[in-house]
Amino acid sequence: MRSSLLRRLFPGWLLGMFTAALLAGVFGALLLSGLIFDTSASSQHSKTFAWAIHLTMIHSVRERAGRQERPDAARHASLLNGAAAYARDCVACHGGPGAARAPWVSAMLPTPPYLLDSSSRWSRAELYRLVHDGVKMSGMPAWGEIEPDQTISDIVSFVQQMPKLSPTEFARLRQQARPATPDSPTAIGAQEPSTFSSASSPS
Amino acid sequence: MARSRNAFRVEDADRRRTGVPDCRAIRLALAVCVAAIGLAGCQRSAAADRIGDPRAGAIAIDRMACGSCHRIPGIEEADGSVGPPLAHFASRQMIAGVLANSPQALVRYLEAPQEVVAGNVMPNEGLGDRQARDIAAYLYTLR
Repeated sequence: MRSSLLRRLFPGWLLGMFTAALLAGVFGALLLSGLIFDTSASSQHSKTFAWAIHLTMIHSVRERAGRQERPDAARHASLLNGAAAYARDCVACHGGPGAARAPWVSAMLPTPPYLLDSSSRWSRAELYRLVHDGVKMSGMPAWGEIEPDQTISDIVSFVQQMPKLSPTEFARLRQQARPATPDSPTAIGAQEPSTFSSASSPS
Repeated sequence: MARSRNAFRVEDADRRRTGVPDCRAIRLALAVCVAAIGLAGCQRSAAADRIGDPRAGAIAIDRMACGSCHRIPGIEEADGSVGPPLAHFASRQMIAGVLANSPQALVRYLEAPQEVVAGNVMPNEGLGDRQARDIAAYLYTLR
C-alpha cells in the first residue's frame, strides 16, 4: 500500500526537482550574466537585499566575536594611541563627533556609518572582531592584517569612548595625533592623563 | 503615447469645429477642484514637494549615513540613537532646539549644522543645496 503510494508520487517529485533545478540554473545564468544584478555603486540595493546582507553581517560578527583579544591588550589599551590610530586609519570613512567623513565616502555603497553609538550596538569583542577582521564587500579592511593587535585594542577603546568627546575635544585630539608618525608614537602617549581627564568631562 | 497625443489633437480640432463645450475638460476641472480641497489638509506635504524631491532625498539620507545617528522611518537601517529620532518631522515645532521649523530653516541647518548650533556633534557633510532640499523634502513627508 505504502510502496504503491510512493510509486505514484515519485514521478511528480522527480518533475518538481527537475523544475527546481532548471529554475535555479536559469537564475544562476541570469545572475552571472549581469542582467539581473547591477554591481554599480550608484544604484541602491533593494530594501530586502540591503536588509538581508546587513543582518547576515551582524549575525556573522556576533557568531565569530570570540576571545581573540588578549586580555592584557584590553587592559593596557591606550586611548590616546587609539585616537592617533583612529585619526590615521578611521576618520576619513567614519568621521567623528562634529567631524564629517571625506567627501568621497558618501559615494560608497554601502556607505560607512558614523560610529558614535557603535558601543551600544556592539560589544567590545564584536568591535574588536570588526576592526581586526573587517567586513567583506563593504570596503572595511581587516586592520589586523597590517596593524599590531595592541593598536586594534587601542582603536576599540577609543571608539567606545568617542561619544563622550565634544567636537572641540575630538578636533584637538586629531590635531595632537597628527605628528604621530611611526618614529614618535610616545609623543602622544606621554600626554595621555591630562588630555583625557578633560576629554571625559561632560560637555 | 504618440497615438494618444494624436487622438487628443484630432478631438481638439473636432471641438473647435462644432463649438460643443468639452465635457471632459469640465470633468477634469471638477476633479482638480476636489483634489485641491482634499489636499488643503496636506499643505505641508505639497510644500515638501515644492522644496525638493523626497525620493532623491531618501537616497541622499542613506548616502550621508544620517541613519547611523538618527532613527528615520522609511530608511533602511536608520536606527541610530545619537541624535533625535526624526519621525513626525513635519509636525515638529523646532529644529535642533533653536530654529522654528520651516523648510528654509531646515535647509539652512542641514547645510551648516555647526553654524546654527555651536559645538554641535552633527557634522557638516558638505551637502549641496539640491541635496539639502531633497533631504528636507523627505523629512517633511514624515507626518
